[in-house]
Amino acid sequence: MYNFEYTKASSAGAAAEALKADEDAKVVAGGMTLIPTLKQRLAQPSTLIDLNGVDDLRGITVTGDTVTIGAMTTHDTVARSAEVAKAIPALAHLAGLIGDPAVRNRGTIGGSISNNDPAADYPGALVGLGATVKTTKREIAADDFFVDLFETALEEDEIVTEVSFPVPEAAWYMKFPNPASRYAIVGVFVAKAKDGVRVAVTGAGPCVFRVPEMEQALSSSWSPDAVADIKVSDDGLNSDIHASAEYRAHLVTVMAKRAVAGAK
Amino acid sequence: MEIKGEYRIPAPRETVWQALNDADVLRECIPGCESLEKVSDTELTATVKAKVGPVSAKFSGAVTLEDLNPPESYRIAGEGKGGVAGFAKGGAVVHLADDGGETILTYEADAKVGGKIAQIGSRLIQGTARKLADQFFRNFAEKVAPGSTQGENAA
Repeated sequence: MYNFEYTKASSAGAAAEALKADEDAKVVAGGMTLIPTLKQRLAQPSTLIDLNGVDDLRGITVTGDTVTIGAMTTHDTVARSAEVAKAIPALAHLAGLIGDPAVRNRGTIGGSISNNDPAADYPGALVGLGATVKTTKREIAADDFFVDLFETALEEDEIVTEVSFPVPEAAWYMKFPNPASRYAIVGVFVAKAKDGVRVAVTGAGPCVFRVPEMEQALSSSWSPDAVADIKVSDDGLNSDIHASAEYRAHLVTVMAKRAVAGAK
Repeated sequence: MEIKGEYRIPAPRETVWQALNDADVLRECIPGCESLEKVSDTELTATVKAKVGPVSAKFSGAVTLEDLNPPESYRIAGEGKGGVAGFAKGGAVVHLADDGGETILTYEADAKVGGKIAQIGSRLIQGTARKLADQFFRNFAEKVAPGSTQGENAA
């Protein structure tokens, strides 16, 4: 690890100001990706701005039709929340599948989506449910938030403060995890809501994406059979020692089927 | 791993070829390029700051232009060392086709990394290489003919 300065932010706004003042500074949330990167000397920030002391970034609020989760809320908190489990069971289920207990106790929803790892789980939930990301500057629809591999719509000095999920009629998430890291080799989030059906895929490509053919098929008939014969193209999908692009494309259909079957 | 892409650039092939051989143009188009100096007509030295996700590493090394076949094709190759991060090596074969006063640029790129980056980032290298290659050619098309980036995505 290289040397760096460390400061504790008093608020999200203050952290954003500090980022603006120093382009080599980095914000740390749970640190589940950033700290291992620093340990390997693969990044050299001048200053780490720690958001862990900012209490108003933590917490879950459930109103009739929306679940709002503060950016610094850990995966474990979401997974164990009775309120989330009641309003959007798929969301609590997804949070409980992330990494291992150590990661879930430290890792946060804000950190995960800002990093936008292609194999992370939360991007699937945000796009699958049509969530809204609130930042220190504005509100961004999930469809616009995730841009590309490790790239989001966030500006250099913009910090996620909370995420709002509309409560669907039914939804579920199925993933085929890497057995060691539990990262999604492929994860599919399906949701049926008043304004339509959404199918979001994470892990398979460089960035989360939707499958319009499956969404249409499920709109006419909400059943596993409706997606059984829909294949996504393997063009542009990830290929590595864990799974080829062809295999990932195959898994998208399998996971989508299982997610629809499990939807609640 | 195959990284391919195609861009239609509304400029004559000769102009596009000149730009492909212009150090100033290349410097502006290589993502994260901090310096690029000409050593000879086909050899350049470069410093590139690669920033992908949490990783940020500075590579210094050489860029060479090979297999020159003006104004039709060449291979642009780069090789750099990133200190403790490891090393990276990559290139792209670029083809220019004349199409009624416009130019169709196609490329096929490859990348290899070694050292620490390869150890911990192996699942991300393909995606990263594809993204950087696409960024370079998008920048390039935009530089040669502003407003032209209707490029089809890398396949």
